[in-house]
Order: sequence, then structure tokens, then C-alpha cells
Amino acid sequence: MASTSSTVPFYGSIREEDEHNQMKQQQSASTPTSSTAAPQTTAPVKKKRNLPGNPNPDAEVIALSPKTLMATNRFICEVCNKGFQREQNLQLHRRGHNLPWKLRQKTTKEVQRRVYVCPESTCVHHDPSRALGDLTGIKKHFCRKHGEKKWKCDKCSKRYAVQSDLKAHSKTCGTREYRCDCGTLFSRRDSFITHRAFCDALAQESARIPTGLSTIGSHLFGNSSMALGLSQENSQITSLQDQSHQSSNILRLGGGSGSGSHFDPLISSSNPSPFRPPQPPPSSAFFLGGGSNQDFDEETRSHHSLLQNKPFHGLMQLPDLQSRTTASSSAAAANLFNLNFFSNSSSTSSINTSNITSNQNNHLMISDQFSSGNGSTESTTLFSGNFMSDHMAAGMPSLFNTSMRNESSLPQMSATALLQKAAQMGSTTSGGSSLLQGFSSASPSGAKNTSFQAIFGGGSNGSGDVLRFQMENETRLQHLMNSLANGNAGLFGGSGGVAAFGGNCTTGGHEQEAGGFGGFNSGLCNMDEARFQHNISSAGSLGGSDRLTRDFLGVGNMVRSMGGGVSQREQHHGIDMSSMDPEMKSGSSSQSFDGGTL
Amino acid sequence: MGGMVQDEGSSSVTSSPMQCFPLIPLSPAAQLMSPPVPWLRELKSDERGLCLIHLLHNCASHVAAGQLEHANACLEHISLLAAPDGDTMQRIASHFTEALARRVLRSWPGLYRALHPPAAPGRPPPDALLARRHFFDLCPFVRLAFVVSNQAILEAMEGERVVHVVDLGGPASDAAQWAALLQALRARPEGPPHLRLTVVHDHKEFLDLTAVRLTEEAERLDIPFQFHPVVARLDNLDVEMLRVKTGEAVAISSVLQLHTLLAADDAAAAVAGHRRKTPSPLAKNPSMAQLHRIVQMNYQGTLGELLEKDHANGRSPSQDSASSSSLALAPSPKTECFLASLWGLSPKVMVVTEQESNHNAPTLTARFMEALNFYAALFDCLESTVPRMSVERARIEKMLFGEEIKNIIACEGGERRERHEKLEKWVQRQELAGFRRLPLSYLAMLQARRLLQSYGCEGYKVREEDGCFFFCWHDRPLFSVSAWRFGRF
Repeated sequence: MASTSSTVPFYGSIREEDEHNQMKQQQSASTPTSSTAAPQTTAPVKKKRNLPGNPNPDAEVIALSPKTLMATNRFICEVCNKGFQREQNLQLHRRGHNLPWKLRQKTTKEVQRRVYVCPESTCVHHDPSRALGDLTGIKKHFCRKHGEKKWKCDKCSKRYAVQSDLKAHSKTCGTREYRCDCGTLFSRRDSFITHRAFCDALAQESARIPTGLSTIGSHLFGNSSMALGLSQENSQITSLQDQSHQSSNILRLGGGSGSGSHFDPLISSSNPSPFRPPQPPPSSAFFLGGGSNQDFDEETRSHHSLLQNKPFHGLMQLPDLQSRTTASSSAAAANLFNLNFFSNSSSTSSINTSNITSNQNNHLMISDQFSSGNGSTESTTLFSGNFMSDHMAAGMPSLFNTSMRNESSLPQMSATALLQKAAQMGSTTSGGSSLLQGFSSASPSGAKNTSFQAIFGGGSNGSGDVLRFQMENETRLQHLMNSLANGNAGLFGGSGGVAAFGGNCTTGGHEQEAGGFGGFNSGLCNMDEARFQHNISSAGSLGGSDRLTRDFLGVGNMVRSMGGGVSQREQHHGIDMSSMDPEMKSGSSSQSFDGGTL
Repeated sequence: MGGMVQDEGSSSVTSSPMQCFPLIPLSPAAQLMSPPVPWLRELKSDERGLCLIHLLHNCASHVAAGQLEHANACLEHISLLAAPDGDTMQRIASHFTEALARRVLRSWPGLYRALHPPAAPGRPPPDALLARRHFFDLCPFVRLAFVVSNQAILEAMEGERVVHVVDLGGPASDAAQWAALLQALRARPEGPPHLRLTVVHDHKEFLDLTAVRLTEEAERLDIPFQFHPVVARLDNLDVEMLRVKTGEAVAISSVLQLHTLLAADDAAAAVAGHRRKTPSPLAKNPSMAQLHRIVQMNYQGTLGELLEKDHANGRSPSQDSASSSSLALAPSPKTECFLASLWGLSPKVMVVTEQESNHNAPTLTARFMEALNFYAALFDCLESTVPRMSVERARIEKMLFGEEIKNIIACEGGERRERHEKLEKWVQRQELAGFRRLPLSYLAMLQARRLLQSYGCEGYKVREEDGCFFFCWHDRPLFSVSAWRFGRF
């Protein structure tokens, strides 16, 4: 009971209304209430105030809900809408309006003592033995300790939950301060002393260690570290913006230079017939896809012509973004195939030869590789499970969510977040085959699909943001693949060799990506050409906007429908590649068809 | 791009991406001598990070499996991506690869010693001390530990006139903690007590400095103060050396130090026969069968104890003193014995701060993953508060985190001293030794929060759980503080 004893005289002299009394009490208590926070600053009241939270044992314990505690002015005057905290006050106010009013009369001399507990269960004042003695006290306590600090001092930015605290503070703000030698200011003595304890240490140590460290430390103790962090974040944000700006440039280059039209002849010159899918393609974009699997001589010719083609040249030279998108996707693809490839060492030569002789693009080569790798047991085991698509299925929705969130909050992922992501991906690897169903059922419906559409649609419209988003997405996919590759190593009996391949292929993929799709090519010029070609295909996908979007979705459908018809491993490619990225789509679709025909 | 073409142009067939075949090591000429391929630099931070995590994980499992060829290939790849001054993940990776490489190298002791001659057993390098200092300054954790420990000590010592505080020392020990305690004791309503401070440390120099500093401080504050330095390592510390007298109210503080005992256990396991410790009062209390091991070790006792011992041995087969602890604790007789002997001092409070991570797993991969997660969070702390180019930050990362990582990953046996374990394990050990938990107070929490507020960084959190505090980086607990009291059964 905070000041019941001190207000006893009021009972006799003024009025015998305990509620009114409380009002007075509130006024008188407004200064000492701060003592709930800092008991040592107990106000010099005449009668000694009880320590907070030592209630009379026979008092009635009242537990109020947070809502009641936070409520202000519950009693509203129907005339002027003025709100009051207590009914008695409202009644007094009504008297001014000449409305009927009635004050509750005090019934007994002995007031039933009431104590109030804090509704916050973790708070010390939640325990009835530490209940607070008056309603205002508990309200303020609740506000201060568990409420939002919405009152801010203009001078020092200190925030308070209770307005009166701010008022009290603003009287002294700037007048009474403790300044440490390190330059930090404190308004409270105790925090100053806490600080000094450590700051002394600093001074001592810095005398020994001549690094000018003490300033750093002391600044850190103050607020400057926040500023540091912020500025850093800012720079990160700006860099991101730069990036997106860049990407939009790229898009403008790719799309605006009329690259789409450049591609048309290329596409038409290609001969998709060997790769015709067993089923009619759901969208014309599949032809586009098949287009990158050109006849070989045709292709070489087009490379040469492209070399002189300025827009493409420019595109090729575009900095990170473009190459990165392609990088991630190609790397992932390479991983997949490397896995298979390494499990069957004999296929090494076959790949080389196929490359040399045919100068195909990567995808074709891979399909070759698959055909050669077919005989080996490892490769079949590698791809016998559904995990590839499972993985995709499991990874996709969650990735979307997380990537969205990260996009908005963190400009760059922290190592912790990355590890979490890696762990997530690792755990999805072990998911069962039921996930495949998840994928097929999820792909035509729901947010995932639309977001894909948004991505690709946006990408083709030249929105840098979306492109960036898409890239991130691809990265994730790529890493899904990587982790998958890694997880697979474990899955397949954990034979060290396979694990090694899984691991090394990851970077292997990246290296390959340096040479674009020339990853498997041994000749130099081949690599260059393949890269050009790769750029072409990517530019094409960027340029040919609408069809691609449809195409992508079409592939999704296709994947589902192919489930029965095509042998499983090809199906994997269909899924991975198509979902990997639009640039790769050409290759991927051809691949799946390829597989179908094989 | 142009550079890339050149690069490819300059390399012959050997630079073909076929190199990614892991059994054909990357040709050093193409990969190490030539400037790293531009796309590597262009990789987005996230991509690179995930890639590094993946590679690190692989590398660790290869190292664990002894597949050095593969491990080597992994390391080679990582070296292309990692950088001690890059983004967080790159930095982490560079330290973990160094640790892994050291571990691999240890299988050739000759090579290893030639490259890393054993450090003279004197002072730690000055850089390490500096790194400690920076860590203390730039991260709030040690300060938090001090503040919370001091608060717990202060509360436990309320009303006591003669207080003996024992600091178990270790590299994180700092005079600042005791200067702060002196200040706090000075402000006690009942006036400051007679304070005796015993600091255990293996460097006399440190103790001398601390003594000067604290004596001055106590004089300034007019507190009767006595400093008692004990030059010893925790693993060969005899509680008698602490010279606790009857009538003193004893408080024990250990900041990031107790885990070093676990190493001694490992080392001692090799040496047959344990050194006898002084008989602790614990031995007089034979009712706890689970303490039989301590009883065994301290055995010089009564018939009752003998019977008890037999009983205990009969109950749990004597061949496995490990599983008999029945708490999934690794056998750590030395630690248990030490804790029991501390218990024997009847401390009013013992405050233990430890790293909240299990870096004492028997398998390398488990340890590796735990350490990776733990240090990733620590690196994140630095990333978010300290600019990348900061010398101080680099020093913390290299000389403190890096050294710990190396110790966790590369060392085994008694050399592996950074055997951080989670609070749950310490709870078991403490309870086994007879301690009872002393919940940390709300006031301690408030102080910790206030300290964090003054840091002004969002990510740091203090969380309370069962009366113990966890200092977290966002949601990840990194350090735990628990308080214990002497309790009778």
C-alpha cells in the first residue's frame, strides 16, 4: 500500500471518499512512483513509504488484465465525451453539466486494503507476495516494464512508457548529467557508475595497449555502435540498389536491343525434330527450348555470326548479374551431372569425344553422358530415387517464403542465417518420396506457381528487382542441388568416393560455369563458343518474354504429365532444369525430351 | 569477362573444367598461380556462403574419414572462396579451413612441428591478450557475464561481513569484474564487507597487475581488501591453495574457464591412477550413490563409506565408470572431483559462465558442425557491430575465435582445451557435485538488459530459463550463466 497511511488525514478533513482520495493519492504519488523502478530514490514523504511489493498480508489481491491496466479514461461523459479514469471523477464532472450525479459514499471506516499483481507472469510483481499497493502503481509498473515506450524525449531520445516519467525526465534532462572521461554522458548516477567500472578498466588497459582502443570501447558503450551497424546496412542496401539498377540495365540491353528478333532465325534454323517429345508439347515455348539444341554445324556458324553481333557482345560483357544467373544455374546443372558422371568413370571419355565431335551445347552432351552412364550401376542408383524432384518440391515453397522475407529485412544474409538455410536444405534432402507429390500438386496451384510467373514475367519486362529475386531463387535452387548432391553421397551407402564427388562437384560446377557451358569441353574455343551460346540462350529467354512464361508453366505441367511416360531420371532433369531458370529452359526442355526419346 | 578469356587462353588443356574431377587435383599452375577467376569474385555473398558451408561440411567429413585426397581437394576449393577479410562466411571458412588443415597435418607430426613449433609455455602471445581485450570491448558477452555474476555474488553476500571471492581465472578473467564488485559492495546499505579476493591464474604477471589495480581501487573506495594470487592452472589446482578460512562467506566465480577441466580429464584418463585430492566433506556424506566415484577417489574413510562404495559398485557394474553416471555425461572424474572439492568449501554462491555449445563431442564432424554454428553467430555479432576493415575485429577473429576453432578442430586429447559444453551438462555436473541451483534474480536481468541497452545493438539478447541466463545473438544462445549454492542433501 503505497500511501494509504500518508493520506489518512484526508479522510477526516476533506471528504470520506476513497475514490477521490485515490485521485489525490495519484497526484501525490506521481513523484514517488518512480521508486517502483528505483527503490533507492524513495521520495522524502513524511511517513515512510513501504517498499514496493511488500503488501499487507491480509490485503485483498487483485489481478487485473493487461487491457484493463492499459485502459485510460474508461468513463466517458455522454455530453462532452470527456473521458475519466475513475467513475467518481466522472460523477464530479457530470455535476458541472448539471446532470444527475451520485458519488459513492464510503461505507465503512475501515477500507478494505487492496493490492494488485502484475499480469505478466514472468514479472516479480506477479507473485501476490510482491503485489503493488495501489492501482496507479500497478498501472505504471505495467506500462513501464511491459509496455511500449512511446514517449520520447526530444533532447536525448530517451524513451518512456509513462508520460509523467517523460515529464519528470524533461525537467532534469540536460541539467544533471554525469560525464565520463571517455565522453559518454549519463543522466543517472547508477548507470554512470556501472559504466565507470568498466571504463576505468579501459583507461587502465589502454595505457598498456597503445591502440587507441579505449575510444572505440567507450564509444561502443554509448550508442555509436548502432550508428556503425546502420551505416553498414545502408551501404549494403545501396549496393543492392546498385545491383538492381544494373540488372535492369542488363535487361534493357538484352531486351531492348531487339535481341529477340536476333534469336528468331537462330531458333528457326535449329532442327528440333530429333528432340521432339513423345508427347505433344503443351506450349510453343518448347520449340524454343528445343531451339538451343541446334544442329551442330548450324550452331557453330551461328556462333561466329554472333561474335560479330554487337548486342550480344555487350550482353556477354555484362557484369556480374548476368553471368551470375547463368553461373548458378549452370553450376547446379553441372553438379547434377557431375555426380552421375563421376560415378561412371568411363563416361569421361565419352563426354569428351561427344564434345569434340559434336560441339554440342552442354545439355546435349549431358544427355549423351546419361546414355553412356546408363550402364553403370552407380549412375542408376544415383538417379533411381525421386529425391531430386523431392528436393525441389520440398525446397521450393519454403524457399520462397524465406527469400521473400530476407529480401525485405536483410540486405545480406548473416552467417547464422546461411547455416540455417543450409541445414534446412540438408533436412529437406532426407525427405521422403511423398514430397514429389507435394511438388506435382503444388506446382499448378498456389502461391508458388504464381510467384514463378511473377518472376519470369517480371524478368522479361525488365524489372531489375524481380530479376534479382529470381536470381536469388536460382541460387537457392542451385544450393538445393548442391546440398542434395552432398546428401546423396550419404544416401548412397556413404561410400567415400561418391561423397567426394558430391563435394567437389559443387565447385567443379562453378569452375565450369566460368567457361559458360563449355564446362565439359576440353578445347578452348569450344568453351568460348559455348559461353556465347549460353549467353544467347539467356538473352533469348529474357527477350522472348511471354512465351517463356508460358513455357515455364508449361514445363511444370509437362513434368507432371511426364511422370508416367518418361523414365525417371530424365524426369529429374525436366524438373530441375525447368525450375532452375528460364535461361536454361531451352536446354532443359530439350533434355527431357531427349530423355523421352532415348 | 576479358580477363576470364585471357585466363582460359593462358591455360592449356589442364585448365579444362574436367579438373573438377576430384581425384585429379587442381593443377596448381592453373588454379593457384593465376588470379582467381572473375566469376568467383562475382559470386553473390549468399551463394558463396552456402557454397562454403557445403564445402566445409564435406571437407570435415573427409578429414574425419581420413580421406586426405578429398579433403585436400575441398580445401583447395574453399581457398578460392574464403578470405579472412571478406564477408562473414568467408572469414569463418578461412578459419575453419586452417583448423582442418592443421588437423590433417597433425597426422604427420614431424611436418606439423616443423611448421608450428610448440609455443613456449610462458605468456600467451601479446596479440592473444589484445584479442581478449577487444572481445571484452566489442562484444557485450564477457561484460554481461561479469555484471550478472557480480549481481549474484552481491545478493548472496548480503549482510555478510567477511567475504571471500574466488575467481577461477582463465583467459577471460579480468580485473574489471572485481573493480565493479568493489564499487557495488561500497554501495551496500550495510556498508562494504571485508573482501578477500583469490584469483587463480597461470600467469603471475596478470596477477600482479590485477593486484595493483584492485588494491588501488579498494583503497580509493575505502574497502578493507586483501588480494590473494594463486599461480596455478585449474587442472592442478588444489582447493587448499585457495586458503578459505572458516567464517568467510565464500563466492566462486568462473567465467569461461570450467571447461578447461574437461581436457585434464581426457589427459588424465591416459595416465593411470588419479592423484589423490584432499578429502572433501563430501566424502562424509555417503548417501549419494551417484557420487561413488568421488568417494572412490577420495577414499580414505570409514567403514560406512566402504560399504557405500561397494554398494555403488555393485549397483553399477564397476567396469564402466562411464555409464554409471547414468546422466549421459562423459566420464570426467577430475572435473567432478574438482567441483566436489569446491562444494566442500561450502560456497554461498558459485557463478558459472560457459559457452553454450557442445564442442566436446567425440566425433570431429559433430564438433565441427557445432563449432561452425556457434562461431558463425559470434562472427555475425562482429559483422553487425564492427566495420570489416577493423584491425581489432581481425584480431579477435584470428587470435581468439580462430585459436579456439583450431583448438576444437585440430587438437585432441589433453591439448584440446576448448571443450565447451552446454548448460545442461554443467547442470548435471554441478548437481552431481552436490550444488543446488540458485536462481538468478530479476535485478540481475535488469542490469544485464541495461548494459545491453547501452550497447545499442539490436541483436544481443538476454534470456532467462530456469533461473539461468543465456546471452544470445538473436535467437541463438551463445553463453550461459548459472548460479549455484552449497546445498546439503
